[in-house]
Amino acid sequence: MVTLTIDDKQVTASKNATIYEAAKAAGIQIPVICHDKKLNPFGGCRMCLVEVEQMKGRQIPACTTPVTEGMIVRTTTDEIIKARKMVLELLLLKHPIDCPVCDAAGDCDLQNLTYEYKVNTNRFQDEKFNWKIDYENPLIERDMNRCVHCGKCARICDEIVSYGAYSFINRGINAKIGTEYDGPLNCEFCGSCVSVCPVGALVSRPFKFKARWWAMNKVKTVCGYCGTGCQLTLGVKDSKVLTTIYDENQGFHNGQLCTRGRWGYQFINSDKRITTPLVKKNGSLQPATWEEALNVVSAKLKEAKSTPDSLAALVSPRLTNEELLLTRKLFKDLLGCDNVDHSAGYAHTALTSGAKESLGYPASPSVVADVQKSDLLLVINADLYQTHPVLGFEINLAVKRQGSAIQIVSDKKGKLSKLPEAKTSIYKPGAELLVINAIAKVILDENLLDSSAQSTGGFSAWQKGLESLSVDQAADQCGIAADEIKAIARNYAKAEKALILLPTGMGYPGHGKELAQAVINLALLTGKVGKEGSGVLILGEKNNSQGAADLSIHPTSGGKSALDIIAGCVSGSIKTLYVAGENPVVSYPNRKLVETALEKVEFLVVQDLFLTPTAAMADVVLPACSFAEKDGTFTSALGAVQRVNRAINPVGESRSDFRILNDLYNAVSGQPAFTDVKAAFQELSGTVAGYAGLSYDTLGDEGSVRPVSGTATFVPVAAAAPATESGKLALVTGSALNHSGTLSVYGEGPMLVCPEAYVELNREDAKSLSISDGDQVAIKSSTGELRLKAKVGSRLPKGVVFAPYHFADASINTVTAGSAVTFVTIGK
Amino acid sequence: MIMPLINGLKITLKHMFMKPVTLQYPTERPNVAPNFRGLHALKVAHNNAKCVACYLCPTVCPAKCITVQAGEDENHDKYAAVYEIDMLRCIFCGYCVEACPVDALKMTQTFELANYKREDFIFTKQALLEKK
Repeated sequence: MVTLTIDDKQVTASKNATIYEAAKAAGIQIPVICHDKKLNPFGGCRMCLVEVEQMKGRQIPACTTPVTEGMIVRTTTDEIIKARKMVLELLLLKHPIDCPVCDAAGDCDLQNLTYEYKVNTNRFQDEKFNWKIDYENPLIERDMNRCVHCGKCARICDEIVSYGAYSFINRGINAKIGTEYDGPLNCEFCGSCVSVCPVGALVSRPFKFKARWWAMNKVKTVCGYCGTGCQLTLGVKDSKVLTTIYDENQGFHNGQLCTRGRWGYQFINSDKRITTPLVKKNGSLQPATWEEALNVVSAKLKEAKSTPDSLAALVSPRLTNEELLLTRKLFKDLLGCDNVDHSAGYAHTALTSGAKESLGYPASPSVVADVQKSDLLLVINADLYQTHPVLGFEINLAVKRQGSAIQIVSDKKGKLSKLPEAKTSIYKPGAELLVINAIAKVILDENLLDSSAQSTGGFSAWQKGLESLSVDQAADQCGIAADEIKAIARNYAKAEKALILLPTGMGYPGHGKELAQAVINLALLTGKVGKEGSGVLILGEKNNSQGAADLSIHPTSGGKSALDIIAGCVSGSIKTLYVAGENPVVSYPNRKLVETALEKVEFLVVQDLFLTPTAAMADVVLPACSFAEKDGTFTSALGAVQRVNRAINPVGESRSDFRILNDLYNAVSGQPAFTDVKAAFQELSGTVAGYAGLSYDTLGDEGSVRPVSGTATFVPVAAAAPATESGKLALVTGSALNHSGTLSVYGEGPMLVCPEAYVELNREDAKSLSISDGDQVAIKSSTGELRLKAKVGSRLPKGVVFAPYHFADASINTVTAGSAVTFVTIGK
Repeated sequence: MIMPLINGLKITLKHMFMKPVTLQYPTERPNVAPNFRGLHALKVAHNNAKCVACYLCPTVCPAKCITVQAGEDENHDKYAAVYEIDMLRCIFCGYCVEACPVDALKMTQTFELANYKREDFIFTKQALLEKK
């Protein structure tokens, strides 16, 4: 710590702090344009000039100068104000004064500073720029005439997003921020550049001219897409969500959002929302009143109470914790039915059975802060960047700023493979378990295990299970060379702090219980669990997947799991099916089977925002609310319990899932389960492990990471050689960067960039099949056949094809049936 | 006792022979001052409303009677797709004119704003466009 004087005020700051940071911490604001707390200091705009007595009163930039002991700093002398005024005059020389039509007005650093420093006239004269404005991409409008050359867009894109879409091009007065060959922008469209632009040079096209900044209510909430649990600020006007607003002080990610979080909000006020309950009459769904619809549903539920085995519920992990608790109370406690599950069962077993058996709790032992403290990040499947993009940014920062090593073990390359010195080992699809076991075996063979491992329960049984495994043979079968596996094992075992990251999800059937246990075994073997910067992060796919796992929204006393429920519908043993927010027709394996099941089930209730293919088959459709219309809490995959705040009134006659379920509970039992959401949270904190001590009111804006505790044990996991079928291509499914589940396809932003289903092929495979980029191809498997657009690239190894699972039309589950790898033939 | 009455009647009689102050409206028209704040008008330049839909008038309006919705035209420029003033709420303070950064709004001398239906008091952009 150093002590210095800023404007006659004694300030203590860390010795790594800059003058700007020290002043800010002491409540002294120094104006900046090019500085952002997330980025490395740049010192380009010269607005933050201050005088330091020891430097003979010279003016130096506060944002790049580190503090030293005894420094005497003045931030507002007449000379400094004069200098700052001139900086503004020079910026305004080229900056067009088109504030009335610029969307940044009100939130513009240049505008605010010009006002603050009363720059009313300009001593200089020059022509304005006349650069062509980029209207070509669907999301980001780039008007370089307004640019003030702070370079924040280029820096955030490089430092945090690690994409590098922008750079300064040209020299002198012609310098500007340019893209690849100065063409139209074509990137991953995370919009980070828009969020940090201090002026209106980069603006959001979907939000263009929709509202002025000052006219919007800013409501803090949590993103409703993936499990990362990013905090979000919604810009609301007239009960409509118009945009997302950047707040650099929000969450672990400092307001940084991914493409779907930033642009995928339009589903909330989509025209496609269902606004009234629908009841099937004479074979078609007709609008009905809430009373009518709820009467029909509650009568069926009451009827099912006597035969609870004939009832089942599939619940989306997009619901809040309180709603999930209510589901549990309604179906499990009140109706006595254990056939309750979510995410096709297999998308959560990594947590609910895997981690639960191995660690004693259905959650990850590590938290997000561990990512940047780790020496080695072992990423299982490069798709982590697609499933949890903001966590991907954290990884970028860990690798590029903290110098962590990164080792990716994956069935395909990904963006993370492009990080500096990233090592990617590609295994044959379906071989992930074998690879992890082989790594563990090397550690055992070379005696690199931690001293704590042998005293951990289940060690000898687990070791025995691995005895027969030969690393060379496993290497042969999984497609990674034995030396490479050994190198991974040595690096992992020797790293003082190493973190394994394992994404899960509906698109990753292979990432289930066994794989989670295998990685936990590996972490236990090297003593990496429970240490800072080490451990395992098992990442639930949806916004509240972790909450659903914590609350045991899955069969716990012999009930049917999701896939068994589907089978039960087909066989006729399930007669009433309640679907809350799930879209099994599109996201569960084997579409045809699911459709048959939903046709056969006697009574189907779907509670959803949209008339999804699943809802279209229902007997009663209940319109539910989006996350922006309700209060509650989500638990992120990283263990943070965070408040979701209601931003707008429910769209149409829609009601929150909480209210619908509470009304049904009331209709069945004669009294509501809870008076309000707060009461539900209170019960939650009393009954769910880890939530004790949390209170709804004190969660605040930051939320709180709930603790986990349990006894770790080794669980033997057998790995078979991956299946192969000669002459066929191995199809793996997963997430696309722009989409999350089947919800984002109702958002305008994601659909502008990634509008339709596709199948991704390797260049060589495409060549041998004479398929070129954009062709329509037929994919045939033993389950079914589908026509999709081909996307040709170099990300996938030869013989492997990839397809995302989000799209309702041409959904990939037409050809897949829930196995990790599906063998397909592709032709035109 | 009688004097005040006579004095009063004097004034009455005097006014009988003076030019009357009342106006035989509507046959006679008042002479409206040039800075009178009557019905608003959206100024027109090059056959288009000058308004760029900056939302400063609805922001400054103390009666909250102005509704603006911006649109994007074929040249990607901003224009007022909707511009409405609710004359029943308007207090004719003229702040909107003062706030306008592009001098697109003025207040005319039109004061006859009576109407039969409430909806007719909501003046749309078409009704507000300056008549030449």
